[in-house]
Amino acid sequence: MRTTIAAGITSGILLASGIQLLAHHSGAAEFDVNSHIELSGVVTKIEWTNPHAHFYIDVKDASGKVANWNLELASPNVLVRNGWSRHSLKEGDQVNVTGLRAKDNSNVGHANTITFPDGRQLSFGSGPGN
Amino acid sequence: MRHRVWSGVVMAVTSLAVVSLLAQTQAPAQGQNNTKDKAKSGGGGGLYRNQAPAPNGPAPKLANGTPDLSGVWLGSGGNDSDISTPRSLKPGDKVIMLPWAEALMKTRLSKQDPEANCLPAGIPRGSPYPWRIVQTPTHYFILFEGNIHSYRQIFMNAKHPDDPDPTWYGHSVGKWEGNTLIVDTVGFNDKFWFDYKGHPHTEQLHTVERYTRTDMGHMAIEVTIDDPGTYMQPFTTIGRATLMPGAEILEYICQENNQDLQRLEGPVRGPGLQ
Repeated sequence: MRTTIAAGITSGILLASGIQLLAHHSGAAEFDVNSHIELSGVVTKIEWTNPHAHFYIDVKDASGKVANWNLELASPNVLVRNGWSRHSLKEGDQVNVTGLRAKDNSNVGHANTITFPDGRQLSFGSGPGN
Repeated sequence: MRHRVWSGVVMAVTSLAVVSLLAQTQAPAQGQNNTKDKAKSGGGGGLYRNQAPAPNGPAPKLANGTPDLSGVWLGSGGNDSDISTPRSLKPGDKVIMLPWAEALMKTRLSKQDPEANCLPAGIPRGSPYPWRIVQTPTHYFILFEGNIHSYRQIFMNAKHPDDPDPTWYGHSVGKWEGNTLIVDTVGFNDKFWFDYKGHPHTEQLHTVERYTRTDMGHMAIEVTIDDPGTYMQPFTTIGRATLMPGAEILEYICQENNQDLQRLEGPVRGPGLQ
């Protein structure tokens, strides 16, 4: 496993603004801007809750060991107004997720983009099509 | 599991919509009628992709001639990130804290922010969530979707009680001056923060809000903050709100699953990743 630096300053600035507006707390106090994650796995649970929706995925590493990750989204209200529904993501879905890892280094992250095997994408604040 | 370099392109596209909310909720009120907030991504006219564009046209009035402020609005009366940001203050105004307040702010932690604890944001701190104004002959109500899912009541043409119990939203009385609704509030507790930076206040806080619907889809909001217990002099914040036509307030119960609090680390930070 290795952690690398963000590709572009511009994207970082934009993401910062995104979290700023879609969270009820400091994004920087919870997530590490230098700890970018990309995870592939199967959705095991969805919490369509406030102040943030969460989904959980089982991620298998090269040795076959499975870890469950807790990934945070915007609130359901923000998601719905951006094209999501509570059915957009379902248990059993295979997904690839990019985001930021929590500063406490736990298996918790802020999900930015979710990609399905057929190429469809969902993102933190936006539903299909964005 | 792999950690790897992030593609800036995907992030940039993803984030554009929410950047537009920044402009909507925190931009100063000057130039109320500019078209900047009408050029948003997606099919709508605002932050949210499913948000209809804010209409133009004259500001409506009730049958008795009173300006009609009713509707669902998005925006706030100040800069939620840092209330002292010059561009969100009336020209010439400055936020000058007394030494105790400056010292307190330096000790504040992100996890102590009432906002992060699902407690009221107070006045004039806003959020990414819309709010509705309801006008009746005797009371005006502001219904907040979040944060928190609560309400303010404004007693029209009334007086403050002599010794109001301190509360999060205080005691508000309203009156009209021309087309501007003046809301005078006292009786605050000292608990909410003005912004993510943790600007404090005391129970001496007195706010005067001025709401002017400049056209059908836009509202100018100015808030004069006078707290001699905390600040050397009063100052006025400038903000605005945009109408969300056809929108409804949704439920937002912040306490439901507030997992974030346990993971917030360190001193106060801006709401983003700064």
